[in-house]
Amino acid sequence: MIQHIENPVVEVHDLMVSYGQNPVLWNVDLSLPAGSLVGILGPNGAGKSTLIKAIMGLVEANSGYSKLFDQELNQVRNKVSYVPQRESVDWDFPASALDIVMMGTYHHLGLLKRPGKKEKELAMDCLDKVNMKNFAGRQISELSGGQQQRVFIARALAQQAELYFMDEPFAGVDMSTEKALIELFREMTAEGKTVIVVHHDIYSAGKYFDWLIMLNMHLVASGPTAEVLTEELLTKTYGGKLSTLADLGEIIKKSGFNPLKD
Amino acid sequence: MSFDQNAFIIILTGSMIAISCGLLGAFLMLRKMAMTGDAISHAVLPGIVIAFLISGSRHGLTMVIGAGLVGLIATACIEYLTQKVKLQSDASIGITFTSLFAIGIILITFLANQIDLDQDCVLYGEIAYVPIDLWITKAGTIMGPRTTYLAVINLVLAIAFVSLFYKELKLSTFDPEFAATIGLSTAGVNYGLMGMVSYTTVSSFEAVGAILVVALLVVPPATAFLWTKNLKKLLTVTAILGVLISFLGYYLAYLLNSSIAGAMASVAGVFFFVSVTLNRHQIPRIKSKMRRLREEMA
Repeated sequence: MIQHIENPVVEVHDLMVSYGQNPVLWNVDLSLPAGSLVGILGPNGAGKSTLIKAIMGLVEANSGYSKLFDQELNQVRNKVSYVPQRESVDWDFPASALDIVMMGTYHHLGLLKRPGKKEKELAMDCLDKVNMKNFAGRQISELSGGQQQRVFIARALAQQAELYFMDEPFAGVDMSTEKALIELFREMTAEGKTVIVVHHDIYSAGKYFDWLIMLNMHLVASGPTAEVLTEELLTKTYGGKLSTLADLGEIIKKSGFNPLKD
Repeated sequence: MSFDQNAFIIILTGSMIAISCGLLGAFLMLRKMAMTGDAISHAVLPGIVIAFLISGSRHGLTMVIGAGLVGLIATACIEYLTQKVKLQSDASIGITFTSLFAIGIILITFLANQIDLDQDCVLYGEIAYVPIDLWITKAGTIMGPRTTYLAVINLVLAIAFVSLFYKELKLSTFDPEFAATIGLSTAGVNYGLMGMVSYTTVSSFEAVGAILVVALLVVPPATAFLWTKNLKKLLTVTAILGVLISFLGYYLAYLLNSSIAGAMASVAGVFFFVSVTLNRHQIPRIKSKMRRLREEMA
């Protein structure tokens, strides 16, 4: 069940991504409404992170394209924010929580300009929004996993974007923080911003999100949560039938057949 | 123990080289690319030889440009092997720099009869000769030690590079993916840094040799990293360590009557190991004490 809409904030068309000869995403075709809180669901290795990385131009697509605000990514970078997975960086880097959040203000500054008082105040506000103001001066290596995650989200807030992509923002975060973050994301969507979150837990997904994307290498579903969160689609996403796609990939790899070469 | 004009010139030159190397080396270390510095310092050899063939002089701009270009080629090669061929980064570094260095050696031996250039001058260097290697203008005026001038230019450029692109270096070192999503050219920053490392290496060759350049690129930042977790302080401590290494290294060599560059590298090593030992046994205790004090005050 894939629901398309008019005037989408994110539009992905026929996207196909592979790492080497292993296809990770096949023919993903979707559109997302503005002002919604979107969850991306799917089992491990389903290509959830790859989907948002491809949209953000961090991995190369074999075919297809994506548009944000009906434009190319390069035209709208100022309006888009990306929160990578926490493990993607080395937290031993010599910096404080505030230093990291300040990085969110860099693209508005441009080359050669230094962040000043205004940027610092903005960064402190953003730390406050994720309840981390008291840790502003703390070394990032001394923060817990959940606190590091909140620093990343504060950095995204400092970008003052319209559209947010978050890769597993709840990984390693305790329940009360997760609830607080969802509350924050709700406030953001109420202001017309769009927040797209890679999520693991099917049970909370129903409560958290307005719109769900279900992914398992190919797109199983994309639509309003109430319509999409059905047992049938969940089995399709996580259940037996989908292993066939993975099997197919294996067979293709073994036979040496490479459809990507053409 | 003496402190004369020669000692001053040697220590000054050594300090400036150590600061230039340390500032750039700090970012190499944080990018987990410390050994790329080593690779570049060796890989630039063919560039030096070719530049020498073209210009016929062991000094001057041609050498720096030649070495800088080969340094960038080496960086591109390493990047290609890791990113596209998916080779491990240490293997990519090993393959690239040995191949380029070998080409340099072949070029040197091939042309050995014709040119006044050998591996020793590139690999070891001799900072003790700095005061007598004078820059004499065509009119015959003695301008002072040539290498010291090179070190000044190098230092100014290194400081300018790090302070102008501080924000970009910091961001692309900590989180290259995020940097790319805000439209920062991470490849541009990378090549800029590697270009500066190549240039610094070549500029410092004659004075301290390739091996000490590597020591100065890696050891002071690694030592400073044990003492501070603030990037600006890390750079400051690195610079101070550079001066101390140069100063103490000179007098160690004076006492032992041995190579100054060797003594500087040894002092750097001693600083590092002392820091490791102190950090292991002292720092956690001091830190927790400080924290308790601060909490009591609050």
